[in-house]
Amino acid sequence: MNATLLPRLLLPAAVLALASCATAPADSGAAATGDDALDDYAASDAVADPLEPVNRAVFRFNDMVYDFVLRPVAKTYECVTPKSLRSALDNGFDNAKYPVRLVNSLLQGKVKRAGLETEKFLVNSVAGFGGLIRQSDHVSRLADLPAEDTGQTFAVWGCGHGPYLVLPLLGPSSAREAVGYAGDYVLNPVNWGMFQHRDTLQYIPPSTNTLRALPEQLRTYDNSRKDAIDPYLSVRSTYLQNRNAAARE
Amino acid sequence: MTSRRHLMIIAALMVTAVTAGASPAEAEKRLRTAVDEVLGVADDAPNGDALSSRVRPVLERHVSFETMTRRAVGFGWRQFNNEQQRQAVRLFTTVVIRSYTDKFTPGERPAITWQPAVSPASGRVDVPTRMVYAGSNYHVTYRMEDVGGWRIADVTIEGVSLVANYRSQLDATFKKGGAAAVLQSLEQSISRRP
Repeated sequence: MNATLLPRLLLPAAVLALASCATAPADSGAAATGDDALDDYAASDAVADPLEPVNRAVFRFNDMVYDFVLRPVAKTYECVTPKSLRSALDNGFDNAKYPVRLVNSLLQGKVKRAGLETEKFLVNSVAGFGGLIRQSDHVSRLADLPAEDTGQTFAVWGCGHGPYLVLPLLGPSSAREAVGYAGDYVLNPVNWGMFQHRDTLQYIPPSTNTLRALPEQLRTYDNSRKDAIDPYLSVRSTYLQNRNAAARE
Repeated sequence: MTSRRHLMIIAALMVTAVTAGASPAEAEKRLRTAVDEVLGVADDAPNGDALSSRVRPVLERHVSFETMTRRAVGFGWRQFNNEQQRQAVRLFTTVVIRSYTDKFTPGERPAITWQPAVSPASGRVDVPTRMVYAGSNYHVTYRMEDVGGWRIADVTIEGVSLVANYRSQLDATFKKGGAAAVLQSLEQSISRRP
């Protein structure tokens, strides 16, 4: 995405996110309390969705773009790229996101986790040929580190989601998570070339990163729609539950 | 007299501790049996349809679909009559089993690392696991509940609860059109795919 366009797109979300930091998460009313003592599902995916009609329209638009543009692109990528290369690219780009995880671990006061992230980065960069092989999977304390990001940092600081948003192309989000996404974008070295003098070569790393992540993102999206009674509500619930769980880790 | 009372209190505490300690172990044992049986069936099934029909009786033994359906519907459940409740359980069972069997890839067997079970409330035990399946890592937590025996009452994958996900949809459907709308939406969901 264009580096100057991103802040403009996300500015309204930033204002809403700041407002959401001062307010408790709203209950959408979608999950009323049940009638037995062990029923604790009332607040698992509660969120305010005042823009639901607009969100549903963007959701339908995104579905069309995913079906007619992005899905063929993802399938072509998987067909023409050997699995070993795809795996190496996934590992390499994940390793490059180390500053996102480091900064957010520190901002959340998780100093030990920041240390482990640094160790993981060094192990993969040195022993894994620049991160193309995840050697850290063979070290038990590094194998299962939860990945911290800016949206989670806002959650730890007490910011609620604010209104639920469906962003064009990017999909489900909330005011808080949209601003968090901008933070992750800035902290990810893959995108740093976009903030300097631009030429065609500087588009290659972020474009490759988007392309290599696409198949898995579409699979996750499809899983949350499959067998849904209302796909919009299913995707919303899946997204919010996943983000809330990530913030708790 | 005082020492006898102390002994009785200590004995009572020991019984409580043993009972509380036994629950997670029993629940986890039941879960491991269920998982082993399901994987045994999955290994032998030649295709998805065969898996779905073979796994159904196994899941019906180990999963409390009645609890799942009641929670998925939420507050509106009390306004369902007995026949509507039976119908909702039958339809929701089909939806869940189909969703569950869809996640299996032929020839793939998950590697499961069992983590210590926790009991967040009386009659409930959560069993967290780390699963490597088809080359991907997943955090899967099984929620076990004592409903006249330990049964699976929910499955959470990467923080996403199956019951909470359907709750968001069915509760909204109930508010729009009551029990009839919930049953109709479940029937439509089943008929959308062969």
